[in-house]
Amino acid sequence: MANPLPDGVVPEEVVVRTERRWVLIMATMLAVMMLVIVVTGVSGALHPASNVEVIDSRTLHLEGEFVESNLGTAIEPDGSATVRLIAVQYDFVPHCVQVPVNTPVKFRITSADVVHGFLLPDTNINTMVVPGFVAEVRTRFTKTGDYEMPCHEFCGLGHHAMWTRVSVVPAEQFSGMGVLERRRCGVR
Amino acid sequence: MIVGETHESASDKPEHVAAPIAPSEAAEALKNGPVGAFVVSAIAVGLLFIGWMAFYFFLFIPRGPIG
Repeated sequence: MANPLPDGVVPEEVVVRTERRWVLIMATMLAVMMLVIVVTGVSGALHPASNVEVIDSRTLHLEGEFVESNLGTAIEPDGSATVRLIAVQYDFVPHCVQVPVNTPVKFRITSADVVHGFLLPDTNINTMVVPGFVAEVRTRFTKTGDYEMPCHEFCGLGHHAMWTRVSVVPAEQFSGMGVLERRRCGVR
Repeated sequence: MIVGETHESASDKPEHVAAPIAPSEAAEALKNGPVGAFVVSAIAVGLLFIGWMAFYFFLFIPRGPIG
């Protein structure tokens, strides 16, 4: 049978013009998106967490910065906070940490056994926690409240129950806390 | 279908595939190109583009750098 719409119904030059316009629109969109990523990335120093630091996961509890007494939130001389955590099947240690609001916070996390994941809602923090390495991510909390942190890398049969909490509190409340209190969030 | 019976497909019959429009009318409608398809595609792609920009500037950027 005859094709009711044979080739050539639409003039060749119209087809070419239409395709050129569409390619131009697509190329412009891609160029704009790439430009936005590069400009904001360079001007805002946005880059993936690229800390590569090895650690012996067999001796975490015996020596170095991840011994039990050194875990939790510490205030550095420049006023920023450093939170040290160990991920272990199936919990983060400490299970809850307190941090001050509107303060640069650096999380340093390592694993004592298998690969875990560390994710903080409402921030861009999302990293793997690999045994033998220290993951380091930074953020600044602008709102007080509790942020729940689930392990998001399947780590075994108890993975679904592995989560911890960051409690962001006013700076004046935080400064009145003792070292142990900074590692507890009370009974909930 | 009965085994062994020959079956002839009707999928290429004019009543199934013919556009309800004469070639001359189609040519008249498309003389400036597929404008309608262009508009629909532009709206769909434009919404995706706006969505990407909104996520980037209103969600990703305010959450700040982590490195």
